[in-house]
Amino acid sequence: MPLPAKAFQHWLHSVAPAMSTADICRISGVKRTTLAQQLVRGKVAEATLVSISRALGLNPLDGLATFESYAGLTGPSRPPTPAELVSQIATPDLLRAVIARTAPAGTAVLALSPAPHATSVRNWVDAIDDGDLRHRVSAATGIAPQNFSAQLTANRLTPELAMATSRAAGVGFTGGLVATGLLTEAEAGWRPDARQAALDALSTGELALLAGDRLQALGRTLRRQEQEQAQTEKIWENLG
Amino acid sequence: MQWVTLLVCGGLAAARAPSALRGENRSMFGILLLMTLAILLSMQAPYVAIDQVLGGHNVTNLILRFIIFGAIFLVGIRVARGFAADGALRLITGWAGVVAIVLAGVAVIVTFLLMDTPGSSAGLTSVAAKDGRNAALVEYYGAAGRLYPSYISLVLLPAMVRVFRSRLPVLIRAAALLLSVGAVAIALSLLFPIIPRGMGILRFIVNYTAVLCYVLGLALIWLDKLRSHPLARLRGTHPAAAAPD
Repeated sequence: MPLPAKAFQHWLHSVAPAMSTADICRISGVKRTTLAQQLVRGKVAEATLVSISRALGLNPLDGLATFESYAGLTGPSRPPTPAELVSQIATPDLLRAVIARTAPAGTAVLALSPAPHATSVRNWVDAIDDGDLRHRVSAATGIAPQNFSAQLTANRLTPELAMATSRAAGVGFTGGLVATGLLTEAEAGWRPDARQAALDALSTGELALLAGDRLQALGRTLRRQEQEQAQTEKIWENLG
Repeated sequence: MQWVTLLVCGGLAAARAPSALRGENRSMFGILLLMTLAILLSMQAPYVAIDQVLGGHNVTNLILRFIIFGAIFLVGIRVARGFAADGALRLITGWAGVVAIVLAGVAVIVTFLLMDTPGSSAGLTSVAAKDGRNAALVEYYGAAGRLYPSYISLVLLPAMVRVFRSRLPVLIRAAALLLSVGAVAIALSLLFPIIPRGMGILRFIVNYTAVLCYVLGLALIWLDKLRSHPLARLRGTHPAAAAPD
């Protein structure tokens, strides 16, 4: 559930008492019509608050924490688990790490690309899933398991569901918000080298198996896309 | 609704003329042309004009039936190939399809010959008005004419539904949905004889819904193709533009 408009306006007034809506929109890059529509509907998207916080030089995490549904974010947050950190490393970076580890010395180690990546949402859920997580999330939130899966496949997850998933898995709340791209690692309070450290802590065997899983998933996705493309082209060719 | 259907169908055929001249998918152009002709022939004024030339024995209506058979046969093959429905393709071009079209064709011709046909009128309304026997024959004749299109539609329906439920591009899925609705409408037209006389408007709506859905469905697929390959069109008209490499 997005942020209630009333509470949002209260927050906005407390962080930028002197600014008009037009000023807020200009500095944050949020479209005026978008904000107006969200206010009229009574539901403001979390991403709107994040954009405005960034523009004002505030940490969006603190802004979110002032809302009732994000009260879990207040206080010192639980750090992400090593598995969560590794899940936020892009597949090409993982593959590169395998090569760097197994190749003769001298291979340059490149910096990791920032989270999120192309499959970060699914990888995050897989990293915290004990086998029964999806059922617990669907029991807690009422979302149908196939809708939850569809969101993961699209590499999307609403902030509300990301929070519920963290809660159901018993991990800190920042993992999901970073994986969905709502917050950056720094905003979530992750150490800059946290992902690299988690990666370095993996044994070469663990790393190779993990990279293998990722490669297999990537292969399946690409295969499916290729098949769909072939089907589409066949339809065009015959009926277009 | 007749006019809308005619305009949509004729407009699409005209829109496709340039690409047909370039040699792209000529049979789709042919299908649209046949469909436009079929709609034209089911309207009173053009029907009477053409039938007068052909002797005023309503032979035009018989021709119309076979134009529809031809169009639906071509559409059937194209859809079955495009949607990768090999089973449906066999049912259309295999012996079952031949039996279906021969049966339907013979039934149409026999009922036509049994009727007292002189007196041009679209939909054979004046023939049906002559007496009870002719009215019943017109009914059978119409049912025979709908037999083959219904057969093709039912054969293709599973493949259409499958594509609609797939994860292909949204325009393709929308097209599959329209084609499915058209197929269901054609199949429903088999039930016309049990529709009470007073509900004639219902027949009319089902008929034109079927044609409109089919034509618009095919147009959507074309649109999806053009949208994804905007350059293909350019290359076609300017061969030199494709030459640099």
